[in-house]
Amino acid sequence: MHTVLIANRGEIALRVLRTCREMGLRTVAVFSTADEGSAVVREADESVRIGPGPARRSYNHIPAVIEAARMTGADAIHPGYGFLSENPDFAEVCAAEGITFVGPPPQVMERLGDKASARAAMVAAGLPLLPGSTDAIDDPDAAKALADEIGYPVIIKAVAGGGGRGMAVVREAGAFADAYRRTRAGAAAAFGDGRVYVERYLDSARHVEIQVLCDAHGDGVHLGARDCSVQRRHQKLVEETPAPGLSIQTQHAIGAEAVRAVLSVGYEGAGTVEMLVDPAGGHYFMEVNCRLQVEHPVTEMVTGIDLVAEQLRVAMGEPLRFTQNDIRFDGVAVECRINAEDPLRDFAPTPGLLDAVELPGGPFVRVDTHIAAGRRIPPEYDSLLAKVVVWGPDRDTALRRMDRALAETHIRGERIATTAAFLRGVLAEPDFRAGRHDTGLLERMRDRAVGGVPA
Amino acid sequence: MTELETVLATLHRTASAMAADARPPARIRLGASGVTLEWDLVPASAALAAPTAAAARAAPPAFDDAAVPVPTAVVPAPVPVAGGAPVAAAVASPPAQHTLTAPTVGVFYRAPEPGAAPFVDIGELVAPGQQVGIVEAMKLMIPVEADRGGRLVEVLCTDATAVEFGAPLFALAAE
Repeated sequence: MHTVLIANRGEIALRVLRTCREMGLRTVAVFSTADEGSAVVREADESVRIGPGPARRSYNHIPAVIEAARMTGADAIHPGYGFLSENPDFAEVCAAEGITFVGPPPQVMERLGDKASARAAMVAAGLPLLPGSTDAIDDPDAAKALADEIGYPVIIKAVAGGGGRGMAVVREAGAFADAYRRTRAGAAAAFGDGRVYVERYLDSARHVEIQVLCDAHGDGVHLGARDCSVQRRHQKLVEETPAPGLSIQTQHAIGAEAVRAVLSVGYEGAGTVEMLVDPAGGHYFMEVNCRLQVEHPVTEMVTGIDLVAEQLRVAMGEPLRFTQNDIRFDGVAVECRINAEDPLRDFAPTPGLLDAVELPGGPFVRVDTHIAAGRRIPPEYDSLLAKVVVWGPDRDTALRRMDRALAETHIRGERIATTAAFLRGVLAEPDFRAGRHDTGLLERMRDRAVGGVPA
Repeated sequence: MTELETVLATLHRTASAMAADARPPARIRLGASGVTLEWDLVPASAALAAPTAAAARAAPPAFDDAAVPVPTAVVPAPVPVAGGAPVAAAVASPPAQHTLTAPTVGVFYRAPEPGAAPFVDIGELVAPGQQVGIVEAMKLMIPVEADRGGRLVEVLCTDATAVEFGAPLFALAAE
């Protein structure tokens, strides 16, 4: 491997480029007309304009990305997260073109990307599931009978869903038939696949995920658990590791289970096994993300392991350079996502021109970002402006440090609002401080009308 | 319409038709009813100061008002009126330049297949929607179509070379 094409944009493209450069690899940036002159385009050894602003004609357009690789002689493609990162067709095309795709094999991605087959594979590997159907359930009467048996509330989820779409919570038997019909119709329209499954719904749960890393020789390790329970409509805002409220022994036990499960389907590279943890400490498999995660830096901060470097080494065919026992977990790391969203207008995105950008620094603070004053935040893509990550020897120090870092963050621009001040409000929540928050935290904050203010 | 306007319109129409010929004359001089229209046509080689095909890959797009947020200004062609006939200026507006750009990243071809005649040659009139080239991306042949009409005055990219999305391919002069 000598030249890596980075098939992404924004902060993650720059983050991947930095590791490539440290490893002595040549870099190729691809960009749409909405990202002319972006940081990764300026930093890359070479860059190719692959299409117009809309992602389906640029970052999601397989022929354009492959052509760019061909014309620049790239022999590997790092997909980042989002866009083509979990697209088995893209991974297959890369293989056919003789280009190394930095990620798991296409057939593994295909199997884990379908929620029904992923559930079946994980239950076969011994991971606990919430009570529910292990496969898609196509008969309304059978679905209703199953929901009655599980007990309400239940959640109906589209097999092809994701990103918080294609699901419905049903709180009583009388509402099931209608919700089932609507979820199927909605999924068929949105994903071209109307299959759904049914499982118990946890009102009070924590979102905990295990970072796994596997090589192409059948070995794998876990890099600990991240808690991502601070969510707004299934979008994560704050992530931390280790997971508060779970003993370190429990986190290692769940981690070991997750590694066994993904190895059983031939997983390679970095991946994330998402779980729900109920108040009694029971954990249940949700899904596997076959890519680098947005929140991967918190894991890097406590383990000292560069996940992108390890992804690239695995893609080169190298065996893992450490065993589970070699991995040291040090202290606590927290990440806050600064988004161009207005907390006072129900987190509506606020694209626009950035006039002033002051980002935090100082001890044990890492900022992954692509923005700068004078840059425009295009409306075509996600609203992530910067990830502020801090490390501390303990959770309390880390949270104080995060509050200090957020207070140093000043991002201004016409019509631009950010989540920075709102996130300070989250950090100040007694439940969050005490580490006993769950996925309902933000809704309860909203119900109490504790809003943020535009930064 | 006054008689003068009718004469001017007729002269303009006739001159435009002559200019649209496959081999346009360098100079047109028409007269009727005491009105003379003089029109120097701009030679293709002098018409453009547009970027060439050798422009760097990451250079800003030359001109694509459909998709590029910050198009660079197109250099206006020399005023086509010569001979000091002031009446002519009122009739013949300066032909603007328009650049046709690559619809995708890939390899640009001027002809439908190797050895074949190019889709269009310098001096030929291009109709809106007409295919003028191909960009091949992963064995997909994506046609380059003129988004507006005009006379082809320059080919801005070498045949069979790699192009980015939005790379300038052809310069057209408005008719």
